[in-house]
Amino acid sequence: MPAILELERVTIRFGGLTAVSEVDLALPDNALFGLIGPNGAGKTTAFNLITGVYQPTEGRITFQGSPTAGLKPHQLAAHGIARTFQNIRLFASLTVFDNVRVAMALHHPHGIAQALWRGSEFQRGERDVAQRIHELLEIFNLDEVRDVQACSLPYGDQRRLEIVRALATQPRLLLLDEPAAGMNPTEKSQLADLIRSIRTRFNLAVLLVEHDMQLVMNLCERIAVLDYGVKIAEGSPGEIRRNPKVIEAYLGEEHSPDNPPPSHRP
Amino acid sequence: MKIAGAKRWLLAGLAASALLHLFTGYTNRYYLGVSIDVAINIVLAVSLNLINGHTGQFSLGHCGFMAIGGYVSAMLTIAAHKAGIPQALTPLVFAASLLAGGVFAALAGIGVGIPSFRLRGDYLAIVTLGFGEIIRVFFQTFEPAGAASGLKGIPNYTNFLWAWGTAAITIYVVAALVNSTYGRGFLAVHDDEIAAGAMGVNTTRYKVTAFAIGSFFAGVAGGLYAHHKVFLSPTGFDFMRSIEIVVMVILGGMGRTAGVAVAAILLTLLPELLRGFSDYRMILYSLLIIILMLSRPQGLFNFVGGKRVKA
Repeated sequence: MPAILELERVTIRFGGLTAVSEVDLALPDNALFGLIGPNGAGKTTAFNLITGVYQPTEGRITFQGSPTAGLKPHQLAAHGIARTFQNIRLFASLTVFDNVRVAMALHHPHGIAQALWRGSEFQRGERDVAQRIHELLEIFNLDEVRDVQACSLPYGDQRRLEIVRALATQPRLLLLDEPAAGMNPTEKSQLADLIRSIRTRFNLAVLLVEHDMQLVMNLCERIAVLDYGVKIAEGSPGEIRRNPKVIEAYLGEEHSPDNPPPSHRP
Repeated sequence: MKIAGAKRWLLAGLAASALLHLFTGYTNRYYLGVSIDVAINIVLAVSLNLINGHTGQFSLGHCGFMAIGGYVSAMLTIAAHKAGIPQALTPLVFAASLLAGGVFAALAGIGVGIPSFRLRGDYLAIVTLGFGEIIRVFFQTFEPAGAASGLKGIPNYTNFLWAWGTAAITIYVVAALVNSTYGRGFLAVHDDEIAAGAMGVNTTRYKVTAFAIGSFFAGVAGGLYAHHKVFLSPTGFDFMRSIEIVVMVILGGMGRTAGVAVAAILLTLLPELLRGFSDYRMILYSLLIIILMLSRPQGLFNFVGGKRVKA
């Protein structure tokens, strides 16, 4: 399968700190790909590089065959990269409906002129958007709360709304930054099912950053491991589980708390 | 989503302005003058609300845009007056001068906006405040516009219909813009710029648009003001005037178009109603604002909750 997203020797430095160092990554189309690593390993920074929040100091990123250098987040969203955030970033004062509506505007042809003239074409367009929002919200069981302010939703619904909002931009690649954070085991297993069904239903690739090992091992077909900004391993969940470097850097810490790994810090 | 009725509301507003205009001959000049002041303040507050309330960009320079519009428009009509434009054409000349004032103000808005968009919150407020002062000082030394002694001899073109018609159009434009799928982008920028960018909202363009449209209407309001007072003085466009407009926006509830319009009416009438207290007038006015703010910090007319208010 051709790669939808490719990172070639991508490096970013903040002053003296190299947050991500020479990372190579090839994400197959339609994949469920996991990106794991201990705290501060550079996972979220990698997300910010892919979505254009940061520009790499060195190396190049290509999405669907074209380089993304110099593109801003909103341009990458238009190309088909959508994301959620580690700390939920909904439009807190807007309703559930309007949160999705903002994302719908990306592929909506009407601008200032139509909004001011409000002709029949504009009204058809708005009805069409409303219908599509309704359908999306139905899939995720959020349609009953469509008129609720996003900030007053329960936590789990907020996480799901973030995913719905990202899907409304019609992405080809969905980046999920710790979607299971703060969820209980039942919610986590529901989330895994949800992510699987999203992949099939919306025909997209998913890149997932997650701390919950069980979820990642269960869900992802392929996993890359970052440690201090360096990719130390990549492979199937089984391979990652057995990889001694990974066990030392990450899993070892979790599996034998009495035997902490040697410090990597310089 | 009330879409279908929106244009009907605009027409109703314009028709009401025209109808009431017919009766202005019977009212006392003081009430007429105050009603025009009210309409001009509605234009100012509702247009600033697009920038400060809906889009969340704290601007303290609204009066600077008003000054640009006022001076440009007044100098144009004075020139036309001197050139001996026939009486029948004055409405056209006035409309063109208002538009020109608005366009100049909008260009200034874009000009001050683009370099400032790296700045947020308090920092943007300080830059716009500085901009407003620069405009004031510029007109204070600008000889062709009378410099510090002010611009005299502006024709008295602004009447009830012009003022309230413009107010109706301003309310319509801001409300129609925001109440659309496109316009939800302004609110998204207000709530979370990073998330908005990730969802495909071109945050810079939305901010420039808000500044351009907001300052356009401030410019038009300046033109109405100039042809209402028939005299422009740079001291009338000082920092306090910008603050007054900001207070209307905050009191009305940031991002609530109707609330802001009502707040503009209240805050224009209040000092007039308090005239009886002569020397204590401004103290009472300030005190009332403090009491209103303490009792309804989310804005007088914001019933959804206090979440939208972050100054």
